[in-house]
Amino acid sequence: MGGAASAKQRSNFIIHLILIAGAVIMVLPFIWMILTSFKTTTEATQIPIKIFPAEPSFRAYADAIKQSSFLHYYANTLMAAFMKTVFPVIFSAMAAFAFARIRFPGSGLCFFLIISVMMVPNPVFYTPQYLMMSNLGLVNTVTALWIASLVSPFATFLLRQFFLGISKELEEAAVLDGCNPFQIFRHIMLPLVSSALVAVVIIQLLWSWNELQWPLIINSSPEKLTLSAGLATLVSMFGTDYPVLMAGAFMAVVPMLVLFFIFQRRFIEGVAFSASKG
Amino acid sequence: MNSKSRYAWAYMMIAPTLIGTLVFWFYPAVYSIYLGFLKSENFGLVNHWVGWANYERLFKDAEFWQNLRNTMLYVVLFVPTTIVLSTFFAVLLNAKIKGRSVYRVIYFLPQVTMAAAAAMVWVIIFAQDYGLLNSVLGTHVAWISDKRFAMYALVAVGVWGAIGFNMLLILAGLQGIPRPLYEAAELDGAVGFRKFRSITLPLLTPTLFFTSIVLVIGATQIFDSIYLIIGKTNVALPSVRSLVYAYYQNSFIYYDQNYGAAIVNVLLLINLILTGFQFLMQKKWVVYD
Repeated sequence: MGGAASAKQRSNFIIHLILIAGAVIMVLPFIWMILTSFKTTTEATQIPIKIFPAEPSFRAYADAIKQSSFLHYYANTLMAAFMKTVFPVIFSAMAAFAFARIRFPGSGLCFFLIISVMMVPNPVFYTPQYLMMSNLGLVNTVTALWIASLVSPFATFLLRQFFLGISKELEEAAVLDGCNPFQIFRHIMLPLVSSALVAVVIIQLLWSWNELQWPLIINSSPEKLTLSAGLATLVSMFGTDYPVLMAGAFMAVVPMLVLFFIFQRRFIEGVAFSASKG
Repeated sequence: MNSKSRYAWAYMMIAPTLIGTLVFWFYPAVYSIYLGFLKSENFGLVNHWVGWANYERLFKDAEFWQNLRNTMLYVVLFVPTTIVLSTFFAVLLNAKIKGRSVYRVIYFLPQVTMAAAAAMVWVIIFAQDYGLLNSVLGTHVAWISDKRFAMYALVAVGVWGAIGFNMLLILAGLQGIPRPLYEAAELDGAVGFRKFRSITLPLLTPTLFFTSIVLVIGATQIFDSIYLIIGKTNVALPSVRSLVYAYYQNSFIYYDQNYGAAIVNVLLLINLILTGFQFLMQKKWVVYD
């Protein structure tokens, strides 16, 4: 018995050792980012390498904010993330409910038209969307960042799966009470899929916060960039001033990291669960 | 309630999503195919129908084939590495150990990190002269500007970002395998790797297959890390340039929208084939269960 227990302990020890090694690689870039952001420019490019800054300074943060349009990047990213989260959740929940719970002529075709775009790789949309924004006079505006993403076929598809799983009885009682479909949706169905709604909110938030290619294509003036596209321009502005680049990168990731630490279980479950249903 | 007014409610509830999708997503997808058959002049003010000319030019372009090979090489390196490492860590986490949720959180961190920010720190880690990697290894390698290494650097960053998420999916798959199966195998004397080979792996195959397809589809669209880590002036760019990067370059730097559309329409075809394949296999597995 004693031998078996210690063998078990030994194998647990090895498992922890491997998992810790993996964890170090996962967090190392973040640690390096933070350490570098507090160094002086010379410390960051010193040989042999210097791990800790001698006198941690916020100089790099001040420079990143003062010499680029960082506050604009924040505001634009926040605005885009807000629009790309709130509206798709509302619109997708409504549509998903109608597709799952109401039989109506043409529902199959409409649903097919909506989810068919999920098979198309994103870059396929960009040139036509760019031409469309250009015709609407929206190139280089914050509106162009979010307007096409007020709807989400993916969220519609995902939420429909959940509405399909709810039993009929609740709905029938409400119909007898004279509720119209919207009232049934709002007061009975929506609360039942709240965990799926949270998952959709998290996914939309992450996607829109971190997206790069579309903001890069549609906007070029500094006051209209998002954080991700703005970071790309910091590289050309500051070159090898590593502390400034790292200060910018850290400021860009901090909001999502804070949200993640507060709602970690929701994040992990939300993202994993959307993948398993999607 | 009569069915007419039920229909009216249904149409009202799907209207925003249906109209938004048709206008902003469905129509652009169709228009991209149309663009591939045009030649635009004066910034799109004049369009000529040129049939397959853009595609003929594309298929004769050595750079296109190189970009396609680069994209495929990335997929071939990135997907199996991610799957193997994610499965490895998922199996370790599935053993009943303390602190599982702490590891889950740490491994998930790259998933909530903006690719642009992660790319910038990787550039600094990979830097030839003052980079962390070279000083740890005691080497002096130009990881991201030497064409022998640039692709591997991109794959490493991709894998770093993908493990946490895929590990979770595989962990969920592992937890769906009934315990008694392992107990029966233990009675038969199976241990360690044999248990993994004869029970875990076969039952995990559907999960691994779908995870792989999703990874493949995502990997065929690689752009962010090439744009940010390699960059447009890097001498290693031709050996890592992907289809999507070439699309971006042709459409928005050289302003040749039609040639760009042709490139991305080829990618569309590749993705449709992959999705069709996934759909067929899904049917097969559902019946098999």
